[in-house]
Amino acid sequence: MSDQNKPSVQGTAGHHDHGEEHFREKHLLLDPLPRGEMNAMVMESMQTTSWRFWLVFAILSAIVVYGLFYKWGVLILKGQGEAGVMRPDYWGIFLVNTVFWIGISHAGTFISAILRVFKAEFRRPFTRAAELMTTFGLVQAGFSVFMHMGRVWLAYWLFPYANQRMLWPNLHSPLTWDLLAITTYLLSSTMYLFLPLIPDMAMARDRSTGWRKTFYKILALGFRGTEGEWTHLRNAMNIFAFAIIPVMFSVHTIVSWDFAAATRPGWNSTIFGPYFVVGALHSGMGAVVMVLAIVRGTMKHMKYFIRPEHFEAIGKLMLIISMGWAYFFFNDYLVQWYGGDKWTKQLLHFHEAGPLGWMWFAMLVFNVVIPWSVLWNHKWRSSPWLIFFVGLFINVGMWFERYIIIPVSVTINRMPFTWRLYEPAIEIPMSIGTLALFILLYMAASRLVPLIPVWEVQEGQMAHKLTRFGRKTVVTVSELE
Amino acid sequence: MAEEKSILAVFSDLEPAANAIEHLRSLGIHDDCMNIISGIPVTEAMLGRPSQWTNVPRIALGGAILGFLGAGFLVFVSPYLYPYPIQVSSQAFVPGPPSVVVLFEITMLGMLTSTFLGVFLDSLFPSYRPMKYVPEISDGKIAILVECAVPEEGKVTEKLRKMGAESVQLAEAQHL
Amino acid sequence: MNSKIPEIKLSEEQTGKWGMVIDQDICTGCQACVAACAMENNLSFVGEVDAGYGRSMHWIRIERFWEGEYPEVKMTPGQPMMCQQCGSAPCEPVCPAFATVHSQAEQLNLQVYNRCVGTRYCANNCPYQVRSFNWRDYVRPEPLPNQLNPDVTVRRMGVMEKCTFCIQRIHKAEDKAKSEGRELTDGEFTTACAQACPANAITFGRIDQPESLVSQLIRKHGHGVKHLEELGTLPSVTYFKGG
Repeated sequence: MSDQNKPSVQGTAGHHDHGEEHFREKHLLLDPLPRGEMNAMVMESMQTTSWRFWLVFAILSAIVVYGLFYKWGVLILKGQGEAGVMRPDYWGIFLVNTVFWIGISHAGTFISAILRVFKAEFRRPFTRAAELMTTFGLVQAGFSVFMHMGRVWLAYWLFPYANQRMLWPNLHSPLTWDLLAITTYLLSSTMYLFLPLIPDMAMARDRSTGWRKTFYKILALGFRGTEGEWTHLRNAMNIFAFAIIPVMFSVHTIVSWDFAAATRPGWNSTIFGPYFVVGALHSGMGAVVMVLAIVRGTMKHMKYFIRPEHFEAIGKLMLIISMGWAYFFFNDYLVQWYGGDKWTKQLLHFHEAGPLGWMWFAMLVFNVVIPWSVLWNHKWRSSPWLIFFVGLFINVGMWFERYIIIPVSVTINRMPFTWRLYEPAIEIPMSIGTLALFILLYMAASRLVPLIPVWEVQEGQMAHKLTRFGRKTVVTVSELE
Repeated sequence: MAEEKSILAVFSDLEPAANAIEHLRSLGIHDDCMNIISGIPVTEAMLGRPSQWTNVPRIALGGAILGFLGAGFLVFVSPYLYPYPIQVSSQAFVPGPPSVVVLFEITMLGMLTSTFLGVFLDSLFPSYRPMKYVPEISDGKIAILVECAVPEEGKVTEKLRKMGAESVQLAEAQHL
Repeated sequence: MNSKIPEIKLSEEQTGKWGMVIDQDICTGCQACVAACAMENNLSFVGEVDAGYGRSMHWIRIERFWEGEYPEVKMTPGQPMMCQQCGSAPCEPVCPAFATVHSQAEQLNLQVYNRCVGTRYCANNCPYQVRSFNWRDYVRPEPLPNQLNPDVTVRRMGVMEKCTFCIQRIHKAEDKAKSEGRELTDGEFTTACAQACPANAITFGRIDQPESLVSQLIRKHGHGVKHLEELGTLPSVTYFKGG
């Protein structure tokens, strides 16, 4: 659009205001650039790779090849005995990772769907960065589930189709619900990633050459931006934004039912559903700030798009989610503690005073103490690198939480004869392999996919204006749709 | 119908584009003969255009119904297809609460997948044929694509120029 | 009014078909049942290392605990623990592939090896922890393959397994009785563990027939215990201790 339509100081032309410069500096949506310039910035950020990028890329590829593919081959050939699982710890780190990665994937949907529904404008520059995490996180979760299976080559038996004797999968099983929920979530979050990407693919198509041109041309599907195309797209995105929220909640709730539906002390808890959902958002938001801090620090022009205001806004959400997590954790803990069941009592004691008691306390420090002591402060939570470390701690803490819930808790069961502590083996290189694959996919995507939804940023910049009320200048947002 | 020409006028702002549309209408060009191509979603109301028809919500509803029926088959029919009824634990043959979970997930899957496919159907994606387009559009410009009879071409072009179009040209379908 | 309040259904009232009675007072803890079970059911030999790491492949195990504080310690009586063939088994509904289901005819808890994909949810959900997983393809050195029981499938890596109450013996005996046109009589056959027990601590039979030996023993002792009955699993094994 022309400059008149920009959410600029022209709205208050005639008044010289010192505050205005300050607003521009602070808020992306009040600091508009011509669309062409933003397009060029995003294109350049995609096409720039330093030797450091390729070095990291090569190292990660090596880790993926060794840790994920080679070790997985070993695991498939030699059996689950290569892992640390045994009686009674039939479930180990692979399922810890599954829950962890599904948790990470919740951030993308939370940011792009819930914040879109509630018109939280700060979401605009990083919805795509978060949605990419959803898709790639779910890929890791899927891998982790398959690693866990004893006969992974028969995994397709879980799909809803009949064998030759018309035997269908068991719909009583929480694992079947899980498969349906994760499939639904993976497909719908990928579609939800792709829809708002189409206009940006068209943008990239218009300003690239060579193989990139072909790549973007195919993915832009022939999008031009006609009234009809925009209407269909907007409608679809609206439906997605609302409908994907219950899907997201259902996914992690069903993951929690894998545990809560079991007759095990410490697992059979009715609050596991919301507890897991909040835990997922906790680690997911932590991962989003980590990714954003890295993207901002390493990619060209990203300091314009991703600003301290965004970390500040996510920091507030993180603080609230951390409080929510603490609330659900305490609720679960208190009721289990008060119940007085002898096995649960043993288990709670084992959590705190057992050989992995340090992990239990570290979980509380990382998930609650550190976020609370940093995020309350406006300045601290605006600092990308500080909040990066808070996100890192939260992710380690949430991984610990899942580790305590799965292999540590199953150590204690109602048959004391079988009690035994889990010792991970091949899971460690394979976990590092999945982490490396996640980063690798993200790095590749950051150079292939416009990481900033430019048209959404421009739309936001059109909608924002500075208005004077008496002596005070404030930001006003118009609803364009 | 006589031969038609299509003219592509690029505007850099909403206001002149909206005015131009109004003037084209007074020249007797029907709304159906105009199309707006833009780099950001410009609503019909902003340009005073008739609102667009979209089938996406209907297709989504259809998909949700299909998904629900598919889930219903899985929940209520598929257990009976195996010749020997399979009992697990003391749960009912068609269990209540798990059925709700399955019905929900597959309904949502049907709805969201068909919403996605609805965009493809309604927008005729993917289409890699040559199309009338200029790359400046994705720089945030608004283009008006007018289809008019050959004799009117000069008049329309002049009008569009007068209304502040950055460029007016005969639109040629080209590979994007 | 009162008619609207349902009466409590005690689990003791519900009986399965096949059941077992174990007298812990006469169990010597000799492990003969464990060995007999392994031979009868073609169990793999997992080796020292894996067995030491909680991967022992036994469908029946003898549990013993130290009781009391040093120096006043004593050992609890041996407690053979095997699949309790629950009437309402927690392992069954959680399998996504229907690999463990309830047999309507025999009222047993079946494990279908070739449907198993190895999610191990059943083992996790078994409160008795009696399921064994094939963590690897274990080698069976020569000449041991010659000893394999032809009536029982040999399981491979990645599959869950557990005590079947020697269902191959049940079927054999039932088929024989049917071919001879008569009813199966009590004590006509028994499971490998019961057969091998030198102290006769394990008795197997029909718990739904009041005149069978197991039913008589349950009535005679009068204080049989079913493990973790409070979970509503309706186990078919009754234990006697301190009689």
